Amino acid sequence: MLEKLMQTRLFKWLDERSGAEAIIKSQLTEYPVPKNLNYMWNFGSLALLVLTIQILTGIFLAMFYKPSAALTYGGYTVAFDSVERIMRDVNFGWLIRYMHAVGASSFFVVVYLHIARGLYYGSYKGPRELLWIIGVVILLIMQGAAFFGYLLPWGQMSFWGATVITNLFGALPVVGEFLQQLLRGGFSVGDPTLNRFFSLHYLFPLLLAAIVGGHIHALHVVHSNNPEGIDIDKKDTIPFHPYYTVKDAFGVGVFLTIYCYIVFFNPQMGGYFIEVDNYTPANNLQTPPHIAPVWYLTPWYTILRSFESKLLGVLAMGASLAILFFLPWLDRSKVRSSRYRPVYRQMVILFFICVIVLGYCGHSAPTPTLKLVGQIATGYYFLFFFALLVLPKFEKTKPLPDRV
Amino acid sequence: MKLKSILFAGLMAASLVAVGPAQASEGHGVELKHAKVDTTDREQLRRGLTVFTEVCMGCHSAKYVTYKNLMDYPELALSREEVDELRGDKPLTAGLITDLSPEDAEVSYGKVPPDLSVMANARRGGADYIYSILTGFEHDPEGKIPDGNYNLYFPGNRIAMPDPLSWLDHDEADTEMLEQQAQDVAAFLAFIADPHQNERRALGFWVVGFLIVLTIVLYLLKKAVWADVKH
Repeated sequence: MLEKLMQTRLFKWLDERSGAEAIIKSQLTEYPVPKNLNYMWNFGSLALLVLTIQILTGIFLAMFYKPSAALTYGGYTVAFDSVERIMRDVNFGWLIRYMHAVGASSFFVVVYLHIARGLYYGSYKGPRELLWIIGVVILLIMQGAAFFGYLLPWGQMSFWGATVITNLFGALPVVGEFLQQLLRGGFSVGDPTLNRFFSLHYLFPLLLAAIVGGHIHALHVVHSNNPEGIDIDKKDTIPFHPYYTVKDAFGVGVFLTIYCYIVFFNPQMGGYFIEVDNYTPANNLQTPPHIAPVWYLTPWYTILRSFESKLLGVLAMGASLAILFFLPWLDRSKVRSSRYRPVYRQMVILFFICVIVLGYCGHSAPTPTLKLVGQIATGYYFLFFFALLVLPKFEKTKPLPDRV
Repeated sequence: MKLKSILFAGLMAASLVAVGPAQASEGHGVELKHAKVDTTDREQLRRGLTVFTEVCMGCHSAKYVTYKNLMDYPELALSREEVDELRGDKPLTAGLITDLSPEDAEVSYGKVPPDLSVMANARRGGADYIYSILTGFEHDPEGKIPDGNYNLYFPGNRIAMPDPLSWLDHDEADTEMLEQQAQDVAAFLAFIADPHQNERRALGFWVVGFLIVLTIVLYLLKKAVWADVKH
């Protein structure tokens, strides 16, 4: 079908002025992809899909949403009222908002699996270091965008979550107080905070879109890693189109089925995608019994809470994300894939479990036991990265195949 | 290997979600009563509306629900006459707002009764929680909290809302009627918390159904395209 389209006069006209044919060939019909990619390689295209869903639904939500903390009848605010108006009175507003809210959590599910794939098969190793670094930047911007967005409904969790997180910046020496007030637009979270968060929540996805372009460009320079983690012989590659377009389309089908099932039948996901307490309007005089961020930020929240000193906690949380940038150089092994690294394989699986445990601890009300568990998991989180420095000295890797 | 990686992906996803149920039961330890609630049952919703306007609205509002909504939502579908009788001289576009002023409420109960528009979403347990609270007034076993302010299901047990259905020391013969009223109003509140929920589920049936068929077709297409790739 694509070939036929490329024969048309319209396409020829376009090609002469844009080089469209060369782009299509180099990026799609002649772009080489290893033939042995498994379904873990589907999450990149899914992340792009969810980003698109988020931007599109977000544009429509912004047409009806009003970022104002001015009080209205019954202890509500203009912002909360406008969200309820979207849910009740805007045509299919409920659908667009639930798509956006479920989309936020789906984005993290998909991206976390995408990152786990990269870790498991060593996709961060040379020559893909820059690709990995851009990916980490994307993760950080995503987390920022999600955090800003969560304030907008102006519910109890919006308000107190933003209060807790902006408080963290206050713990930093010298610049802390300045940063905290800059973020809040005042001494506490209030109307100015809501306005700037709304602005940033609209800005960050546009940054994401641009950086994702860079991520894909970097990928297309160094090409995909594969489950064997070896450099691929030209004979073992197949063109992206039609092979991987159709495989990605199948992945999209599976994803959309699950996503739509949640959107239409369980959009709050039992308080995990939209927290129960966020249906109570923000009240700066009443702290909710238990403040926890949405599930996708809880692992880092646990790292923060694992330290008695607030400053240490903040630094550890920052370090836990910053360390990802250095992973390509911390891991000294020449072998990429876990399939040929028996010790690393155990370590990385334990690392995944550890992140899930961190997430669980961050979501639960703090108890001494959970705190200890969280501290142990935090310890392993960092140990994992530093152990990689010396691991090649002990690890006997399996012999690599020449071809896949 | 392929199967393994799918399992691996599934496991990751499942474990991210599975943290859920363990958490949901967290609370203050008392298991909620199960409310028989059907947000598509017009009769139950209308009975619930009556309880709401005659009992709850003495103090509470549901400001996001307008009188016009009561006519327009197909689940309720009140007639113009019925709505006119309910609203008196209030405009059709007014929300269901109590005549009790926040100031008077503060004096009488020590706090302003919360708006109930989204209450079923704002509490763990939703309709079950509302039903349990309404039928949870008891005598304080320790005798500290006065009658009418002790509720078995309210966190901390001390509730500012006085027993609205007169559940405490009710006549044995009335149990069934009171339980029914509590469930009806729980159903009404569960409905208005998300008034497009029935439309959503009905539409979702077709959307998910279509996607399952599409996904099967795409899988077959993938198999056909990949037929010539040797592993």
